[in-house]
Amino acid sequence: MLQCIFLLSDSGEVILEKQLTGHRVDRSICNWFWDHTNSQPNSYKVVIIIIIITFSLSSIIIFDFSVLCLQQQPVIASPTHYLFQVCREGITFLACTQVEMPPLMAIEFLCRVADVINGYLGGLNEDSIKDNFVIVYELLDEMIDNGFPLTTEPNILQEMIAPPNIVSKVLSVVTGNSSNVSDTLPGSTASCVPWRTADPKYANNEVYVDLVEQMDATINRDGVLVKCEINGEVQVNSHITGLPDLTLSFANPSILDDVRFHPCVRFRPWESNQILSFVPPDGQFKLMNYRVRKLKSTPIYVKPQLTSDGGICRLNVMVGMRNDPGKTVDSVNVQFQLPPCILSADLTSTHGTVNILSNKTCTWSIGRIPKDKAPSMSGTLVLETGLERLHVFPTFQVDFRIMGVALSGLQIDKLDLKTVPYRFYKGFRALTRAGEFEVRS
Amino acid sequence: MMIVDMLTLTSWKSEVSDLKLQLRQLAGSRAPGTDDSKRDLFKKVISNMTIGIDVSSLFGEMVMCSATSDIVLKKMCYLYVGNYAKVNPDLALLTINFLQRDCKDQDPMIRGLALRSLCSLRVANLVEYLVGPLGSGLKDNNSYVRTVAVIGVLKLYHISATTCIDADFPETLKHLMLNDQDTQVVANCLSALQEIWTLESTTSEEAARERENLHSKPYVYYFLNRIKEFSEWAQCLVMELVAKYIPSDNSEIFDIMNLLEDRLQHANGAVVLATTKVFLHLTLSMADVHQQVYERIKAPLLTQVSSGSPEQSYAILSHLHLLVMRAPYIFSSDYKHFYCQYNEPSYVKKLKLEMLTAVANESNTYEIVTELCEYAANVDIPIARESIRAVGKIALQQYDVNAIVDRLLQFLEMEKDYVTSEALVLVKDLLRKYPQWSQDCIAVVGNISSNNVQEPKAKAALIWMLGEYSQDMHDAPYVLESLVENWDEEHSAEVRLHLLTAVMKCFFKRPPETQKALGAALAAGLADFHQDVHDRALFYYRLLQYNVSVAESVVNPPKQAVSVFADTQSSEVKDRIFDEFNSLSVVYQKPSYMFTDKEHRGTLEFSDELGNLSINAETGDSVVPAQRVEENDKDLLLSTTEKDDVRDPGSNGSAYNAPSYNGSVPSATSQPLADLAFSSTGATGQAPAPGLAIDDLLGLDFSVGTATTPSPPPLTLNPKAVLDPGTFQQKWRQLPISLSEEYSLSPLGIASLVTPNALLRHMQSHSIQCIASGGQSPNFKFFFFAQKAEEASIYLVECIINTSSAKSQIKIKADDQSSSQAFSTLFQSALSKFGLP
Repeated sequence: MLQCIFLLSDSGEVILEKQLTGHRVDRSICNWFWDHTNSQPNSYKVVIIIIIITFSLSSIIIFDFSVLCLQQQPVIASPTHYLFQVCREGITFLACTQVEMPPLMAIEFLCRVADVINGYLGGLNEDSIKDNFVIVYELLDEMIDNGFPLTTEPNILQEMIAPPNIVSKVLSVVTGNSSNVSDTLPGSTASCVPWRTADPKYANNEVYVDLVEQMDATINRDGVLVKCEINGEVQVNSHITGLPDLTLSFANPSILDDVRFHPCVRFRPWESNQILSFVPPDGQFKLMNYRVRKLKSTPIYVKPQLTSDGGICRLNVMVGMRNDPGKTVDSVNVQFQLPPCILSADLTSTHGTVNILSNKTCTWSIGRIPKDKAPSMSGTLVLETGLERLHVFPTFQVDFRIMGVALSGLQIDKLDLKTVPYRFYKGFRALTRAGEFEVRS
Repeated sequence: MMIVDMLTLTSWKSEVSDLKLQLRQLAGSRAPGTDDSKRDLFKKVISNMTIGIDVSSLFGEMVMCSATSDIVLKKMCYLYVGNYAKVNPDLALLTINFLQRDCKDQDPMIRGLALRSLCSLRVANLVEYLVGPLGSGLKDNNSYVRTVAVIGVLKLYHISATTCIDADFPETLKHLMLNDQDTQVVANCLSALQEIWTLESTTSEEAARERENLHSKPYVYYFLNRIKEFSEWAQCLVMELVAKYIPSDNSEIFDIMNLLEDRLQHANGAVVLATTKVFLHLTLSMADVHQQVYERIKAPLLTQVSSGSPEQSYAILSHLHLLVMRAPYIFSSDYKHFYCQYNEPSYVKKLKLEMLTAVANESNTYEIVTELCEYAANVDIPIARESIRAVGKIALQQYDVNAIVDRLLQFLEMEKDYVTSEALVLVKDLLRKYPQWSQDCIAVVGNISSNNVQEPKAKAALIWMLGEYSQDMHDAPYVLESLVENWDEEHSAEVRLHLLTAVMKCFFKRPPETQKALGAALAAGLADFHQDVHDRALFYYRLLQYNVSVAESVVNPPKQAVSVFADTQSSEVKDRIFDEFNSLSVVYQKPSYMFTDKEHRGTLEFSDELGNLSINAETGDSVVPAQRVEENDKDLLLSTTEKDDVRDPGSNGSAYNAPSYNGSVPSATSQPLADLAFSSTGATGQAPAPGLAIDDLLGLDFSVGTATTPSPPPLTLNPKAVLDPGTFQQKWRQLPISLSEEYSLSPLGIASLVTPNALLRHMQSHSIQCIASGGQSPNFKFFFFAQKAEEASIYLVECIINTSSAKSQIKIKADDQSSSQAFSTLFQSALSKFGLP
């Protein structure tokens, strides 16, 4: 039961306000929130790089954007309201309520709002929201009524409110119809498959299935792999005429530890035979999330060594392939934060470039690991005067990407189409990248 | 500064009047391209509105321009109207016409939007125009319009409840809820009806019955059978309802759980959590199944944590934290999930550290402690401290502390001041529990120079060890002596207190070496400006003067090792939070009565300004078990009891439950639920929760029996009557009202009734105890009880006093109905004496 949603810019300005109930929430709450956020001891900003890779056979699009993330709890109690906040790319989505409600519902909903707006505007930033605030209002109007979430399926929303893309702009010029709202209601509001458009038509019927995996690993000070697991997603991009019924099966479903499904997946076939049977939404969607625990090894190793004596610390980091996954490992990147007690650092590498920013963040971009020689970075760190040895050790965050391999070993067995008699094109892809991959020293 | 403000103000004004002019020109125009220019203008108006400039003066012009077929223009117009209608009720009338026309449009989208805007005007004197469109909207053949209309009914109810009831909309909604094809319509009906009936139930028996009916078998089964058709958000709503349902037997429970099991695999975390709640609450009475439920929900929750955004992870983690604290042994093999990642926010790390501490057992302690030790070198100093404390806590939980002690001692050698400080405090606690380790610890602690320890807590710990183990530490007297010399530079009273005691202890063990230091310490202590320090010094001084051997037995008695350290949060509070699973309570780690105001708990009344209505009513003196309960007038009793059944397991999603404290609405469902909840706390044998032992230690007993002391006849009251709030509430619900009267109060009494406490003390002197009170002038509300002197017969009284009318309304319930009149007289005479000198 949310009362109000605000969108705030990274400077605390209210970009947009949507009141949901008869009880207006005054904007002054935003000022309170902003002051509160800035008064937090830990409110330093962290920049996280998120890379989303969407790919069909023809193209690979990489969105690479930085996220300003405030060290602020998602649920805060202000003197008058309970606030939920979700921060995406500098835009804070702030929701207020005065009544008890499931916190996850509010947060989950705000995440969906952020995703939907992001999808509509092709990225989130202050300017794009301000340019398209009418669309954002329209979206919020359909997504939530009287404080209770209604529809958050992007497929359905796109039928009610056309996205402001170039195609529709061109269309509107050609046809003279400048409305960005479709004239009819989406068929699915009355259909029994709420996530699917009533009757899409395509000249080429095609389905692309992508396995996108993220490896989270923690390697401790002694070089022991203390935790290694994979969080994967099955992303599907489906363009099929009519109402298709698909089944997807894996060669080795037993390796999956836990799964989460899109609402379209039928539970029984999975429970009895580990087969995914579903009527897909039209277009791109996330069919399934899965988790594979207790992996025994990582594709690359990172070995940091720090020895300190007499106010000088010698640092040496080696990176190399451990188990050759059969495909090239690229976009390898090692990042770490120098401890505050270090005055200056002088680091060089045999391969790639080393960059030290003014906030003492050190980035070593390696790119592709050469086959013949393992790259290394070494140099000296000068400690604060009076300090003999280093007591605070940096954690190395490693990034890499391997195209064409799902490191969990999950394999797609086959994809079948029932009910619709078309021939259709199937495409499978896989990708693994590093998630929270950290090496302690 | 002023000039600049004036300038911007005038520029706004001129811009607004400029817009006004342009809108006027366009209003009547039918030329081609009008819509495009209108759209630009509307956009400008709305962007001004968005940044907070008041453009309400354009209302008339905007309405004039609203005659258009362009749907985007319409939407912008609706948005504008919705924003300003409430402040311009007169002008809002202008919009009714075009909105009503749009409600009959051919396009269902426009019908829906117009209806939504019409209901969002929220102007009280326009409600008559709402009824018609809403009625036809509810019958519309398009489901989109119906969904909007259902919520519209709720909006109407909030503007004018009587109009809504008179039009018989709740009945219509009920019919729709049970018959509509579209599940979104059904879901909206459910949420609207829950809200309407909850708010109505305070005045209407019928509504209260309907609300209770929602939790009955036919309804719950109806929703459950359609659960898969509902949207994910509606599913959450249904789950809330199911969580309140009480199945008649175990097979029913299993049926429900089988049906809902796949919901745990849902992509939406909110659904997963709502399902978890249903599972946990259904199985409360079956200990073994409850265990299996934990096992079953473990994997989905852990997946949610690792795959969601940081915000989602946090919300899930908070709930996991609660579960881990309740059943640590179930999660002990998943400890690796609680390892901290480097770039997690510190509030997440903190939760994880607590969970790591909880799940540590014989098999995983080594790994966990190794991991925690790595955090001690963390860049984030608060987390480094927390992790050292966590190591210490694990050490205190375990029997085999061999390895841990070594680690702690390594911390002491790390030469980081905060690490040393935390480690010192821990070593002290450790020694209190495991005195056998003193040799090893003392050897290391002895090497620490007291000059390097700055933090008061750590310094106090070091001094305590110096005093306690002065016979083993070679230079203890000299260290203490130098500390005493620097007495004036020691700012913390805590440290000075410890120093005094340590010097005393040392004196008894090594008198010749310490005598000088003791003299100096006592002199400094006597001159100390801090009262406690001064008193302690004086006490020691006199004690030594009186008898040295007595002093020794006071200061240096043989000590027993501490077996369990008290927990900060009582298990009662934890149980309460568990009852409120999937709500804010879990995130705040407090039950809702500790952080919500009454308006926002019971009903759906929002307030723009939160008055501080709550009063802490301390029930009398030590006679009644001293329970500090937060009070307020509305749901007085609810918040006092430990098991608040009405708000209990399901209040969260909707929070629409009105307090049903006036026993006139005996809720059939709530009673068994309360029992269920009780069994979770009471069944010590079933759930080996570690918290329970602590409960006894803290002496948290709610089972204070009704004391009976014989005293002379006829209607005399027991002056030491005791009743705990739980029993009170139970009795209040069970007993019928035997008397209901209205008294007048004397003006003197009214004058003295500034705070409820004044009356409480007065009534107590007449052997009538108050169990709860609250309110603010002019309305006060009290719940009293009294006990017949020679029997266990109890009288319960609800007393509402209005100071402005000098009237008090009294409802009496009694175990022994026959004597209630006599009691009433007694009560009245006691009340009438209030305020008299």
